[in-house]
Amino acid sequence: MITLTTNINSVKKFAVKREAFIYYIFLAVLVFFAILLHDTAFLSLDNFMNIVRQTAPITIMAVGLTFALAVGHIDLSIGSVVALSALVGAMLLQTTGIPIAVAGALLTGVAVGLINGVLIERLQVSSLLITLGTMGVVTGIARQISGLESVPIINSDFTAFFGAGDIFGIPSLFIWTIGIAAIAYIAMKKLAFGRHLLAVGGSPKAALAMGIKVTRIRLYALVISSAAAALAGLLYAGRLHGARYTLGEADLLTVIAAVAIGGTSLFGGRACIIGAILGSWLMGMINNGLILSGFSTNEQMIARGVILIIAVAIGVKELKNG
Amino acid sequence: MKSWLPFKSHALTMRYLFKGLLGYILLFNYAANAVDIQQIHQAAQSTDVTVSQAQAADIKAKQLTAALVWHGSSSWVSAVTRGAEDAFADLGIKVVAITDAQFDPAKQVADLENVTALKPDIILSLSVDGTSTQASYRKAISGGAELVLLSNPIPGFEQGKDYVGIVTDDMLGMGKAAATLVADAVNGQGQIGMIYHDASYFITNNRDQAFRQALSAYPKLNVISEKGFLKEHETSNIAAAMVLQNPKLDAIYVSWDTAAEGVIEALRSLGRRDIKVITHDLGINNLLDMAMNGNMYATVSDRPYDIGETMAKLGALSTLGHQAAPFTIVPFDTVKRNNINAIWQQAFKKPVPKLLNQALTQ
Repeated sequence: MITLTTNINSVKKFAVKREAFIYYIFLAVLVFFAILLHDTAFLSLDNFMNIVRQTAPITIMAVGLTFALAVGHIDLSIGSVVALSALVGAMLLQTTGIPIAVAGALLTGVAVGLINGVLIERLQVSSLLITLGTMGVVTGIARQISGLESVPIINSDFTAFFGAGDIFGIPSLFIWTIGIAAIAYIAMKKLAFGRHLLAVGGSPKAALAMGIKVTRIRLYALVISSAAAALAGLLYAGRLHGARYTLGEADLLTVIAAVAIGGTSLFGGRACIIGAILGSWLMGMINNGLILSGFSTNEQMIARGVILIIAVAIGVKELKNG
Repeated sequence: MKSWLPFKSHALTMRYLFKGLLGYILLFNYAANAVDIQQIHQAAQSTDVTVSQAQAADIKAKQLTAALVWHGSSSWVSAVTRGAEDAFADLGIKVVAITDAQFDPAKQVADLENVTALKPDIILSLSVDGTSTQASYRKAISGGAELVLLSNPIPGFEQGKDYVGIVTDDMLGMGKAAATLVADAVNGQGQIGMIYHDASYFITNNRDQAFRQALSAYPKLNVISEKGFLKEHETSNIAAAMVLQNPKLDAIYVSWDTAAEGVIEALRSLGRRDIKVITHDLGINNLLDMAMNGNMYATVSDRPYDIGETMAKLGALSTLGHQAAPFTIVPFDTVKRNNINAIWQQAFKKPVPKLLNQALTQ
């Protein structure tokens, strides 16, 4: 019994440490750029708001993907869902009001998530393959319905609410980020749903034995991942005053990197919402810092990789020392 | 904090060391463009490429086929395709394939192999990467197809022997026109930012370079910040950083329209409606911004429909033994709020989108 308790405690300690990893990395990169760019506006509030605003869609996708990863699924279709939902929203806005456009966009995401989930469960095929397939289908539909043209949005209420506007003096993209993060954190940490997600991701058989509806939980996780991508699509559409079939196509790897650095396991059973948010801000901060530093594009690419590796190494060292 | 090295501070020392290290790592530079840009100065004009009635009758009698092997897809490529298809239809030439390489050289190689099996008489194409696709082009033309290129040359290919000619934008003229528009936007005096395409790409590199050169003729225009980008989605962050570091900016030049969308978005987010943006090409989002008196001041547009039409005519004429000039350039137009409607129809040969029309009439 004593051995078992000790084991559980050490596992818990490890999990806490693993989650602390992102804080060390974030701090290391922040200090690095604060010194490197002390004579620029890097440390200004305006610049941090820039970073938060620019990374808002990535952050929300990262939070959504955390749910899919928690149950052991990867969702490669999120980038394509961003484009399709943004296009659906922008097209509906031309003939209807904001509620219908937003509902249409979000339902697009929910529908893709449901299709992903049902196909994975019915066919018992890896989520990697199914979502790779749906990514192609969704991208094709986005290209088809848009005719490769941008779909502009001139509804200023929409662009203010989802894009560059302020709500009570606070940038709306910041509010979206914090709001979604809070809901996701509560769902993951405080509700039974979160525990069920992690149980399913850790060991589906054990979860089934505990009476958890494994199939349903996995389905919910994929729907959340896809719906979050649809919301990210709306945020992009709001920021850019329009939608385009290329939106989100470059985001998938950034989102996966942000979630992984944030302490979520890519193989299920461990998820960290705060880590996903800090991970996406970290990626945004590195981009921002490198642009401010005046490096050329090639130098930035190399430096981005070098900084990530150094930061991860520092994080690992701190964990071992701790 | 004072530094022990001959720089003002540890921070500056760190920055120089970091840049030096990266400079060492970066051992290569982009290769110069394969074609001497001076050749563009002696280019033929697309308006001079005409098909007489007798030539048209001879071409129709041959019952030719054509294939369009494109680099990617966009509304611009669609307009080029429409121009080519219309010209081919007038000459009784059947289009047997249209492909889209999605900017992937490997996909373009496969596209060329597939198209070659159809034995087209004419191929119109823009090469994603001349070096890696060269062998496939060689195979495609070995069957007798006449190859007309859009903009990008293929290394090792000889004009008049391996390909008919290159149809392209007036890159030098467009860059120069963009500089004139920047001067116009700031009344000949101000602080300018430049967000350029930092990749080896024939058209954008030449346009950007022509812009730089032309801008140096204006002594009161100071380029206070130049930043490069690889992918369009990067420009928002770049513009935000540029404005943060240089709050006194008056205007920003960006290499092309979709890349400018991120810049406009960043300026909106920062509440900087005073900074004017000048770019190349036509896109509905930025034109809407221009129509609504936003940041978008002006753009320089080529004529994609005319490019396709000219390529088709050159390909068809070459089947009669007609020799084309190495380069044929298509005119451009400068676009401001007052002529959006006319230039859109000139470029795309179709009416402006409804939403844009509404914004223009308000």
